[in-house]
Amino acid sequence: MGRIYRVSLLVFVLCASSLGPIALVQPAARYRAYVSNEYGASITVIDVTSDSVIGTISISGRPGEVRPRGMAVSPDGRTIYVALSDFNPRVETKEDKVVAIDVASNRVVAEYRVGTNPERVALSPDGTQLWAANENAARATGFDLRTGRVLGDFQTGVEPEGVAVSPDGRWVYVTGETSHTVTVIDARELRVLRHFLVAQRPRFVVFSQDGAKAYVSGEIGGAVSVVDAREHRVVQTISLGLDSRPVEMALSLDGRLLFVAGGGTSAVYAVDTTQNRVVRVIRERMGRRPWGIAITPDGSKIYTANGLSDSVSVIDPTNLAVIRSVSVGRGPHSVVIGVVQ
Amino acid sequence: MRVLLVSCLLTFFHSFAQIGEIRVGAVLPPGASPALEAVRNGLRMGEEEYDLNARLLGWRFRVLTATAPTPAAAAQVAERFASQGVSALVGGFADQAPALARVAQARRIPLLNIGDPSDRLRNEACNPYMFHLEASAAMYLDALATWFVRAGLRTWFLVYGGPEGGDLRARARKALLERHFGARIVGEKGVQERAFQEVLQAIRRAQPQVVLLLLPPEAQLAFLGQYERVGLAAQVTGFPYPEAQTRAFFREALARAPRSGGGYRAVLWEAKLDAYGARELNARYLEKFGFPMDPPAWAAYQAVKILFEAVAFTQSKEGGRIRAHLRDPQAVFDVHKGIGVSFRPWDQQLRQPLYLVKLASAKEAWDLASLVGELPAIYRPGTDPVERLDQLGDLKRDSRCRLGGG
Repeated sequence: MGRIYRVSLLVFVLCASSLGPIALVQPAARYRAYVSNEYGASITVIDVTSDSVIGTISISGRPGEVRPRGMAVSPDGRTIYVALSDFNPRVETKEDKVVAIDVASNRVVAEYRVGTNPERVALSPDGTQLWAANENAARATGFDLRTGRVLGDFQTGVEPEGVAVSPDGRWVYVTGETSHTVTVIDARELRVLRHFLVAQRPRFVVFSQDGAKAYVSGEIGGAVSVVDAREHRVVQTISLGLDSRPVEMALSLDGRLLFVAGGGTSAVYAVDTTQNRVVRVIRERMGRRPWGIAITPDGSKIYTANGLSDSVSVIDPTNLAVIRSVSVGRGPHSVVIGVVQ
Repeated sequence: MRVLLVSCLLTFFHSFAQIGEIRVGAVLPPGASPALEAVRNGLRMGEEEYDLNARLLGWRFRVLTATAPTPAAAAQVAERFASQGVSALVGGFADQAPALARVAQARRIPLLNIGDPSDRLRNEACNPYMFHLEASAAMYLDALATWFVRAGLRTWFLVYGGPEGGDLRARARKALLERHFGARIVGEKGVQERAFQEVLQAIRRAQPQVVLLLLPPEAQLAFLGQYERVGLAAQVTGFPYPEAQTRAFFREALARAPRSGGGYRAVLWEAKLDAYGARELNARYLEKFGFPMDPPAWAAYQAVKILFEAVAFTQSKEGGRIRAHLRDPQAVFDVHKGIGVSFRPWDQQLRQPLYLVKLASAKEAWDLASLVGELPAIYRPGTDPVERLDQLGDLKRDSRCRLGGG
């Protein structure tokens, strides 16, 4: 029996080897959801397959004082960048920084100084540039991850928050919450190109996969501004209702659906981007105050970070229904998906 | 394609370039009271921030400020401002709002009232060019009634006096007896001077749970001093005139009445509000002026912000278009209160949440008040946000103003 087994194994390995490296050495990617707990000073790690919490990464020993908020993922999914600040927004402290978490080990492996009070961060598609919105400085900071140097800091509207880099790496959009503006930074020339108005209190910006459009959520305006990302101007405003409170957004893999976290309304809005209209409002079983939202890279699940219920809601994107709730840390702000190869 | 792009950009910048410089004229009474100091600071901070924003968009934003000791003098200053091309007026302190409103109407530019809560200005004396950022007396009284009655404090004693005491008394009765069932008025007394012996005796006999002072700010302080000395137990709150919402007033109230002065007060804004972007606004103000953002500072700042937004979204500095935008039922303003607010079409009152603070003796101004309540609660999924905000103040059916709409 043992001999037969060994021969079979040898035959299997030889056959498998002849198929080339792809069949053998590429196990299915495993995803982990990372949730920033603003009031817990921690990051909760969720295994996406089982939707179970597999760890909590302490960011600081001072919960309630140090705030992890916006996050970004490296292009390969292996590194999570977390914006940290404290509750003293006008003074730059040692807590104002971005930390990098290695997804494989769930350890903080690096930290970067990107100006005062970073609220949200974004990465360039090639993973070399880190961009941060410095909320109380009305600035945005670009950082070169290869050299460890600041590329520059740029004037934005008042209370910058949302930040995103276009898929071609050329443009950085930064929203100004109080100004109702988007600032366009030329990431190649390292200069501000222009500023333009969007719906009131813009919180978040996301580019379409082809880079032709950007979507900007206006929390107080209850709307999503659709931006022609080549001309940098609003071409349409999608009203979600005055009380919709849109915050973070995520696009489906095919770009046809835009999922909008409806903050104070405890709802998620599904917007058909071909018609620019709301096709579903997900309320049932939704946690309270969903602020962050992310889709797994394979499009199989949507996660929301629910700030007032200390939970994550898991949404089935096919049925557009909440299928599970996961308890996390205090005050979930954002959620992103990391990849373990 | 490139031609189209350039054409679009030029069109966009041309529309903003046409705005050039927008000017707003603020008319204030002279003096250095804490409330007026706060207003000046709020205007200054508003001008700095919104001129920065305007420059981002290719135009400029200026706030001209002048003082006037009387309503007639305020009207003269407003006329001068109008001649200098201001697009809007800001003011409303020291009974100057009606005089300013008349100039605003004649010059067809909007006036933002940031200092006068009088219900008359929202009713028989309303003016189509006057918009009220300051909450109305009706809103404050409804909020106070709601908070105290919900807390189980149902028996009230009204002390009224001063030029508006009668109106306030009538509206307080409505708030307690018609709008918030379960409250009872167990006594009320009008006062002419600052001798409160008779009132105090009446309160002792009536044994209310709440004493509501519908008195001018200085009279409220005088009452508190005498009330403290007789040792009555009922909670005391007062009508929140702008001057009575400052931390300087709170400090004085606590100095004169360490026990009974430490009650609950309604305010338009609170420096400890830390949601909805308020934390950042409050932090910027605190850093700039070294003092918490008192409600009059907030009102002045938001007046500038609202006017900036009206210009930005209409791309016009013409007074008529700004007024039309302020009246537009679809226009939404972001005043750091976590919900889009708008002006009620029937009386042009800004519908907005109010706050409840608890006072406590403290060395630092920051610690004199703590935020303990918000009304209406803005997070009520499934309810209409406009109806939610209209829980405070007079609805159209109650209004004697005939500006229409809504």
